[in-house]
Amino acid sequence: MPTQENNDDRIALLQGTLDILILKTLLLGPLHGQGVARSIQRQSEEVLFVDHGSLYLALQRLEDKDLIQAKWGVSENNRKARFYSLTAKGRAELLDKTSQWKRLTRAMGLILEPQGEEG
Amino acid sequence: MSRPKRSTEDFAEEVRAHLEFEADELRSEGLSAEEALRRAHVEFGSVRTAKERFYLRSRIQWLDSILRDLRYGVRSLFNSPGFAITAVLTLALGIGANTAVFSVMNAVLLRSLPVSDPTRLVYLHPSHAPYGTGTINSRETLSYAIYETLHDQHPGLADVIAYVPLSINKVAVRYGAQPEEAEGDMVSGTFFSGLGVKLPQGRGFTEQDEKDHASIAVISYNYWTRRFARNPDVLGTTLFVNGIAFTIVGISGEGFEGLEAGRSTDFWIPLQNRPELNAWGNPLDDGKTYATNPTWWCLRLIGRLAPDVSKQQAAAALNPLFQRAAYIGLGSPAAGEKAPTLSLEEARGFPGYSEEYGRPLRMLMAMVGFVLLIALTNVVMLLTARNAARQREFSMRLALGAGRRDLLRQLLAESLLLVTAGGALAWVFARMATRALASWAQIESSLAPDRTVLAFALGILFVAALIFGLAPLRIALAAGPALSLKTSAATSNADAGRSRGARIMVAFQMTLCVVLLVGAGLLIRTLRNLENTPLGFPVDGLVVFGVNPHVTSVPQGKAFYRELISKLRELPGVESVTVMQERIGSWSSDNSDMTVDGRLPDVPNGSSRTVRSNVAGPGFFTTLGVPVLAGRDFADSDTETSPHVGIINEQFARRFFPNRNPLGHMVGTNDGRYQMTVIGVVKDHKYRSIDEEPIPMAWYEYAQIPIAGRMEVELRVHGDPLAILPSARKVVQQIDPNLPLIKPMTQRAQYNLTISSQTLFARLAGFFGLLAVVLVATGLYGTLAYRVSRRTAEIGVRMALGAGRSQVVWMILRDSLFLTAVGIIAGVPLAFALGRALSSSLYGVQPLDALTYGIAILGVTLVAFIASAAPASRAASVDPLKALRTE
Repeated sequence: MPTQENNDDRIALLQGTLDILILKTLLLGPLHGQGVARSIQRQSEEVLFVDHGSLYLALQRLEDKDLIQAKWGVSENNRKARFYSLTAKGRAELLDKTSQWKRLTRAMGLILEPQGEEG
Repeated sequence: MSRPKRSTEDFAEEVRAHLEFEADELRSEGLSAEEALRRAHVEFGSVRTAKERFYLRSRIQWLDSILRDLRYGVRSLFNSPGFAITAVLTLALGIGANTAVFSVMNAVLLRSLPVSDPTRLVYLHPSHAPYGTGTINSRETLSYAIYETLHDQHPGLADVIAYVPLSINKVAVRYGAQPEEAEGDMVSGTFFSGLGVKLPQGRGFTEQDEKDHASIAVISYNYWTRRFARNPDVLGTTLFVNGIAFTIVGISGEGFEGLEAGRSTDFWIPLQNRPELNAWGNPLDDGKTYATNPTWWCLRLIGRLAPDVSKQQAAAALNPLFQRAAYIGLGSPAAGEKAPTLSLEEARGFPGYSEEYGRPLRMLMAMVGFVLLIALTNVVMLLTARNAARQREFSMRLALGAGRRDLLRQLLAESLLLVTAGGALAWVFARMATRALASWAQIESSLAPDRTVLAFALGILFVAALIFGLAPLRIALAAGPALSLKTSAATSNADAGRSRGARIMVAFQMTLCVVLLVGAGLLIRTLRNLENTPLGFPVDGLVVFGVNPHVTSVPQGKAFYRELISKLRELPGVESVTVMQERIGSWSSDNSDMTVDGRLPDVPNGSSRTVRSNVAGPGFFTTLGVPVLAGRDFADSDTETSPHVGIINEQFARRFFPNRNPLGHMVGTNDGRYQMTVIGVVKDHKYRSIDEEPIPMAWYEYAQIPIAGRMEVELRVHGDPLAILPSARKVVQQIDPNLPLIKPMTQRAQYNLTISSQTLFARLAGFFGLLAVVLVATGLYGTLAYRVSRRTAEIGVRMALGAGRSQVVWMILRDSLFLTAVGIIAGVPLAFALGRALSSSLYGVQPLDALTYGIAILGVTLVAFIASAAPASRAASVDPLKALRTE
């Protein structure tokens, strides 16, 4: 696990990554905030932990950028919830950001791989 | 396009839902309901922090959108620079003119003195000065004896302060070698302490200084800055005033310019009692200074009310003392003489100025108020026209999802930009205009805007911003998304209601324009009349200056002037030279009763016995060019030793020598001590000012009267009168190197000063009239041009149906002429009212002057024509085919 100092890096990293993760999660269909958090946690095999406060601000930010849209609705167990779904713009953004991310991780990998340290 | 802002409540709701989902899930994993809820909360972290962050974020967003609106506003104003420049300039002129006039009005009429607790300060003003006294201003000045009495005993007042200038204009001073002039006052020991004026450097005066007539001086901050470049070493050095040495002991605080109305005092000295430093720079009267002469009321007094005493209470307590003191040295009151009374008036504005400038200033304020109304309506009309023309843009934006609130905020941002730019420019303009006003009105004291002026300007700007904000409101609300779907200009045309509003505004502007033009016309005709008033003698070619020789005896003074006159006569270009005690055309005159053949003349009941008098040198009337109707002018042969001679004017002869030849009769001072034989009668002429009526006058011969001191020298020269001054100065300084020429100017300029306030008033009124015309023309042109462009399709249809071009032109013209007619009909009665209010400021012209009204009406009509001409010709040149095809 990262040390204390690395915490800052992770948060900074999270800013960008959280947006992609949310967009990716919503690609499968509309979800409410808690669903998004659960889904990210589950899909990353509980490695990634989503700070709930930050999640909702990220959702608001994406909404303001017109990347996602929100609507109050009713969940399967009859609870009122705010459902988020991707917009066309959000879809394009996701594609763009995903390819960026892939290039970044590949580049990082090329540099880090020879030392064989990363698990 | 931003959507309506999400509320914090909505966000809180979502958080609550999240916690429930989380708890549901945890419960399904087997936790108890309570534990599940707790865990959900723990995992979420602080709900409050999340809410705060959300709130903060939405605030920042709001700020962001304002910046965006402003940026968009700037862009859109840059896209129509014609509109933006017109609107900003209109605003700047309207608001700037108002601020400038208000600045002056504030200083002259409203502002309190820059001293501590100014509301407790009162001017001590007398009325009914006893017979036999001479005053500077019969309602403002008092004798030294009265000051002394009230200084010792002043019930109701905490302090009594006396002050008096050392000269009517400036006094000769010397610091180092160079003689120069400065404005100085003699003041009581309580001056600085009683007023509460701070002296950051050095000290003020004490009661002891006054008693000792101490040779110390305090200089003003302005003088210190101007003359001494704020050198702190000036303290302790010597300033010579009329040749007497004074040690500078203090520098007054910034902003304090003394108590002389409209002037800026340079230095103060304690009250003195010596001939060189008499009050007002006057020569001694019978060997007496102001302090020993009970008949000369020349001091101004100001007092500070004692705590918890009202003006009335203090006046009641002071009056018995005052009435006794008024007769010190004068004997007892004559039969039927009204008892003198003392009244206390709040020390506000410039004393004495409210009579001369109060009314004109209030009238000017009303006029610039009208200009402002025109300017504001103009900008509103421009804004309305512009926004109406942009309706398609608005509809399009609404259709694309903008909220009405976004639209309104956008329009408000544009208005705000206009008002801010206009306001900033107005302030610059106002500062310049105030300076010009001050120099015209001969106000030397600073007119720097204070908090009142700033509040006034900001008040106008606020109202303007409010009006401009409300004007587009209707447009923003009226525009619907559906409108953009309509394609025809005819259907998207402005509805009747809105154009009615514009028409009312145009008619209203015409009304104000008529009123302003009538006012300006009346005042300009007044000025023309004043300027063309014959003075009774050829004033061109005359130049005048004062000299105040340092003399200690009468013979010495006479010798000085004899030498000066003969030396000046020798200068090339000088035709003749004379001297006089009171400068003609300077507003002042020496008024008194005079004896005729040894006794005060009988006058018909109620008419005045008052005679103006002056002291004149040899060849006085010849130099001026005033015709001598009978007898002769004063000559060099009239000397101290020859028989006393005097000259009178036609009025004197007619009133006091009816049907008799006045030559050879005796006239004299009211106490009968000085008698002279009438040797000449001269034609009536303007003496004090241009707009006066002649009254009886008499002239004493300068060489014969026992007075020596300051005199005014008059030269008639060939060519440019001012060109003689350098050589005249050389002559004066040959006799005494310390003597400056006092207020040298052409005699014409001196007379023109007496109508300077009328000149200023008329020029300003004319300027505001012109401004109104220009504003109205731009407003009308803008409105008409816009309406024609909106009606292009309609005009096209009309022409296609057979309407001729002249009919189209007439259609446009008829409209604006109708509005003009309405404006004139409403404006004329209003102008009547204005003319009546102005009547006291008019000279030789009636308030209902037909010519002025005719010109004003013609002017407005002409403006309407000119402003309509371009739009009308554009309408006439509409090509019906093209107009219809664009649909």
